[in-house]
Amino acid sequence: MPYPTNSVTADTLKRGLKSGIEVTWQLAKVMLPIYFTVTLLKHTPVLDAIARFFAPLMGIFSLPGEAALVLVIGNLVNLYAAIGAIASLSLSLKEISILAIMLSFCHSLPVETALAKKIGLSAVSVIAARMALAVLSGLAFNLLL
Amino acid sequence: MAEALREAVVGSLNSLKQIAIIVIPLMIAMEILKDLGFLDRIADWLSPIVRIFGMKKESAFPLAIGIIIGLSYGAGIIFKAAKEYQLSRKDLYLITYFLVSAHAVFEDTAIFAALGVSASLLLLTRLSVAAIFTFLASKAIKDTEKGVNL
Repeated sequence: MPYPTNSVTADTLKRGLKSGIEVTWQLAKVMLPIYFTVTLLKHTPVLDAIARFFAPLMGIFSLPGEAALVLVIGNLVNLYAAIGAIASLSLSLKEISILAIMLSFCHSLPVETALAKKIGLSAVSVIAARMALAVLSGLAFNLLL
Repeated sequence: MAEALREAVVGSLNSLKQIAIIVIPLMIAMEILKDLGFLDRIADWLSPIVRIFGMKKESAFPLAIGIIIGLSYGAGIIFKAAKEYQLSRKDLYLITYFLVSAHAVFEDTAIFAALGVSASLLLLTRLSVAAIFTFLASKAIKDTEKGVNL
């Protein structure tokens, strides 16, 4: 077994703390630049223009147009980057919940699709499946929440 | 401009703090659970489920690894387990289909929970949808991928 069962020791706690800090650090590295960029964009007409352009599409999920930015960033970069964008926009809890379930199913496409391809699945089918799950779950959350 | 910068500094550090408060204790708890044999326990729970998908019951172990640790960190262990247990290519495909829709579920859920989203709602939706999706996939690729070994 790759993960043998041991007892809990000080080493366990040390490893946990280390991986917790590691995740937080990975998050900070990606999230902070995105947060800064989006916050600065908010003070320019650019974000408004993006929001207006995507408003009809995002309206399907009852999301504001700028939510498109979150989905694009989450899919091209990763979840941490999407979190940075979500945190910097003023979204309601329902809107964040809808984005959260959509992103849960579909994120980090370049990296994760490469892994699936290595196993032998076709990139197109994996991406199509994940996007379909994201769209369906987003629609469902919008109706049910 | 100065106001926007201040907003960015204060806001981003606040969000990061909020997330660190949840993620660091969670990762410690996960290490404790791992050392208590939690992964094997989860694999045990999963083995009846993977049988429904028509997979070898040993598939439950790499599946548990991916669900908990994630794809990027878990990939090495998943490959190793697939070889060790001589999983068929179809089993490996189904594991991957499940995992692309649901991996590193506790970590991802914790990060969204830090923003106020219901953790149980996210977790249950993600796992049950991944299971249904894998079940459908297991029907769809039944005949084309018989008995191919790694």
